[in-house]
Amino acid sequence: MSGDASRAETEPAGGTAGLPAPSGNWRVVVLNDPVSLMSYVVLVFRKIFGFDEALARRHMLEVHERGRSVVWAGMREKAEAYVFTLQQWHLTAILEPDEAH
Amino acid sequence: MKRIEVKLSLEVVAPLLDVVKEVVDGLDRRLAAPNKLEDLDADLRAGWRDDLLRSQNEDCRRFLALFDREFFASGSISFDEENAESVLRACAAIRLRMRASTLRDLPDETIESAGPEVDQMEEPARKAFLGYVFLATLQELIIQHLDSTILEG
Repeated sequence: MSGDASRAETEPAGGTAGLPAPSGNWRVVVLNDPVSLMSYVVLVFRKIFGFDEALARRHMLEVHERGRSVVWAGMREKAEAYVFTLQQWHLTAILEPDEAH
Repeated sequence: MKRIEVKLSLEVVAPLLDVVKEVVDGLDRRLAAPNKLEDLDADLRAGWRDDLLRSQNEDCRRFLALFDREFFASGSISFDEENAESVLRACAAIRLRMRASTLRDLPDETIESAGPEVDQMEEPARKAFLGYVFLATLQELIIQHLDSTILEG
């Protein structure tokens, strides 16, 4: 699970915030909320996607500063599983189609 | 197994548990965070929501179990690999619900920087705010001391 997420994360596909946008048919997007602690969001990203501390922190900051971050992209079934797990941790996560595919 | 024990002031924390328990009761049938699942078919959406709710309730049950007879005797609670994740998630859920209910009228700036003005808050917002901060402190403690346990679990 985490290995695949890390692989997807390394594929640059025109990200807009200095982070390479993961490529795939479906995107897992985390939206900002005014409650979750930054350290909590970093831990959740590391736990779920296997990101290292630096990458998790970059995604957290992207969520915080831009309101959203694409944290994974790929097959729909797996994207749904990630969204469910993120919601289990009470982060606001959505699934959206990647229009480029 | 790594375990941390935290000694809390009964005098300070016990009154906050009333407001926390009230929020937990309100979470029995509702999700703390909004979930946007319009894209899923109705059956899947219902099952999805039920599974999230079941998980949330179990986390809240484990969180409340911290404040048992031993806590009221000694003021101590402990975290380990058995309960750390659940308590972290429960604190997140309760804080989200507090922010959307009792604390909804407070601007983000007040929430983030509240110091001396806490004493000027009206009840029940004051007690809810202190509970909100208390839960964040528990989260920080767990993340600080048990992050490797959680990441490996």
